[in-house]
Amino acid sequence: MGKTKYMMSGGLAFSEDKDMERLRACSLNGWHICDIKFMGYALERGESTDYIYSVDYQTVNEEESEEYFDLFSAAGWTHITSKGDIHLFRATPGTKPIHSDRATVAVKHDNLGKSLKWLAISMLFMTVLVWMGALISTGPLRTMLAIIATILCIVSIPLGWTVMTIYHNKWKAKGKKGLVHLVKTIPFLFILSVAVIISVVVDNSGRAFRIFASMAIGAIAFPAAIWIIMSLYHKVRGNRV
Amino acid sequence: MAALTKPRHGYAIMSLIEETTKGTITIGPASMYTIIKKLLKQEWIYLYDGTDSRRKTYLLTEAGKAVLEEDVKLRKMMIQLAENGLKEAGEWGKPSI
Repeated sequence: MGKTKYMMSGGLAFSEDKDMERLRACSLNGWHICDIKFMGYALERGESTDYIYSVDYQTVNEEESEEYFDLFSAAGWTHITSKGDIHLFRATPGTKPIHSDRATVAVKHDNLGKSLKWLAISMLFMTVLVWMGALISTGPLRTMLAIIATILCIVSIPLGWTVMTIYHNKWKAKGKKGLVHLVKTIPFLFILSVAVIISVVVDNSGRAFRIFASMAIGAIAFPAAIWIIMSLYHKVRGNRV
Repeated sequence: MAALTKPRHGYAIMSLIEETTKGTITIGPASMYTIIKKLLKQEWIYLYDGTDSRRKTYLLTEAGKAVLEEDVKLRKMMIQLAENGLKEAGEWGKPSI
């Protein structure tokens, strides 16, 4: 058996608490996180220990990083790894949480959302623009634009969803109930409207059903494929090192 | 903010608050860092000594002092109000027989 393995994340924006609980469970089984990977974590074999985990989002530049990490270690939190603005810490159970009030938790989610917000907005804008281009053009240009638009859709929908979830987390921390409910209903409205549009545009009901089925299969197969590729990649590389 | 009437670094503020409130109030490290960043941006505190990059010390600015004084005044009034309220409640609550 290898010394390291890959564990897929539920997406930090979507399941931060759940991910941290899973990391704790893995540590109890003797698998400790050592690195943040593409859409997941690298775990390494060690002794079974009860550790609790916390993640913080903060833009820390070179000269500020010592001060930042010193605050955590002084409070009993060991820094494990960082990826960009995402910093992961570990401590023994009973250590005081890294956030002590809701206002700073809201800032934390804002730190993560800020960087993604404009990317998501410009991507959505571009997607709409290319779709419109595809609708008004004809011939090979239309096919090309339609393909580009589809690719943009595949990227921008999860991205938009992620940003919405981050702001949902932020507003939840701030106690803004109305906004939280609004954000929660948007994905359902979106799926519903896509379903309605497809049913209306595609007159043949058999074909419409096939489109829904392939969408559902795609939604399951895409993350599964990433998990398989990352696990294999990790195994092959882990054995070589 | 009240902990920065004397130059102190982040961890010293965390320990001071924990000690003076006997552990009733604690500040987490992520919260502490976020609060320092916010106060610096508002120019209510400034970097007093940055020679030790691990333990930089901060001090209140004049603007920060004014804000703190205002805040204390407001809180005093609120405490006064609450104390008066409790006194009244005590008088009302006495058995009438």
